[in-house]
Amino acid sequence: MNTMLTRSIGSLLAGFASTVVLAAGNLGGAGDWNAPYAEKTEALAMKGDVTRGEAAFVICQGCHRVGALGRADGSYPRLAGQHATVLIKQLSDVRSGRRNNPKMLPFADHQSLSVQDIADIAAYLQVLPIPADQGQGDGKDLVHGGQLYAKDCASCHGLRGEGSAEKFYPRVSGQHYRYLQREARMIRDGGRRNTNPEMVEAIRNYSEADIEAVSDFMSRLPVEKAR
Amino acid sequence: MNALKGNPFTQCLRYALMTCLRTLNAILLPLALLMPSLALAADAKETVKTVCAACHGVDGNSTDPQYPKLAGMDQEYLMRQLKAFAAGKRRDETMAGIIAGIDPVDFSTLAAYYGKLKPAPGNVKDADLAAKGKVLYDDGNTESGVPACAGCHQPDGMGNARFPRLAGQHQVYVLKQLADYKSGRRATDPLMTTVGKRLTVDETKALAEYIAGL
Repeated sequence: MNTMLTRSIGSLLAGFASTVVLAAGNLGGAGDWNAPYAEKTEALAMKGDVTRGEAAFVICQGCHRVGALGRADGSYPRLAGQHATVLIKQLSDVRSGRRNNPKMLPFADHQSLSVQDIADIAAYLQVLPIPADQGQGDGKDLVHGGQLYAKDCASCHGLRGEGSAEKFYPRVSGQHYRYLQREARMIRDGGRRNTNPEMVEAIRNYSEADIEAVSDFMSRLPVEKAR
Repeated sequence: MNALKGNPFTQCLRYALMTCLRTLNAILLPLALLMPSLALAADAKETVKTVCAACHGVDGNSTDPQYPKLAGMDQEYLMRQLKAFAAGKRRDETMAGIIAGIDPVDFSTLAAYYGKLKPAPGNVKDADLAAKGKVLYDDGNTESGVPACAGCHQPDGMGNARFPRLAGQHQVYVLKQLADYKSGRRATDPLMTTVGKRLTVDETKALAEYIAGL
């Protein structure tokens, strides 16, 4: 009886320990957010083909819309004009479980897309035009939003929201306000596990009003000048 | 459509004729299987007349809505479906019996034949329901993650080699396919399995009604 109990407690503890290890692996320390793994590295090294990418993107446009313009209600982000590196990281992260996205997963898994498809789609999306018709906020708190952006965001996402292809920082200009707001909230609350911890730290203390203001500001960054 | 609206006598006659044809097929096909020389002798065109046409029509526009219109569908798509039926990846009691009697070398000729035919328009019975279907077809459902059908099947439902033509298809057939994707009975495309699982029954009804009018 005692042995059984000890065994149960033992296996329980072992289970707990492995959960902790897994969780720690998922959360990651600084640098882990973009640690290399085979499939992502492979896709990044491939030469993407725009024409093939356009054909492969067909299964994405039911949600991300024709021209990858996304939806102003924030349900699906705009992908047009995003850096190929960012797209490859995010797409690879979704299908490898590093970023939770149950809605998208079946459309991005190994049955639906090859690694070459990912490289091609990213190449196609990167050169798509970004029309200046993205959804915006109510515009009531732009001064505050601008201050927050300059203080906490501009050093990585760029003064004009252009991001950095090299550093895997996404372009935020031209993105829909509702999407920026939703993701900022998710990042602040730890729901986006593949985020740079510096980003989580930067907005850790943001109130809802702060998130709304900075998202509104970002959604109004001029796209044409950024390109 | 006219046949459906014909007088009771014509309808009766049509029904009797179809039943006879189906029964004949049910008897003749196994017989043909028992006599390989006979089955091989029949060329693809003959197969259309003696086998396919009973359900899908000689012109590829079936009149019985449980059988799909094949006219104007992409040849590659039709070819893939024939292979899927033969391999048991797509299951249908009627087709299972029939596919066994068709020589696989004839698949491409059959697909080409039906692909080149002119599709007949469908028959929308409920305009309000079709209007609801249009919203879903064009925009999807962002809550449940149903993508817009238009994304793959194109806004006009014309389809292509990868995604089938939907325009003008029978409601009954479309509903059956969506239900089969949902249940896993049809497993020809993992994306459609996902879509099938995410659609509600009411949504599938609206979609089928809209698709009939495309």
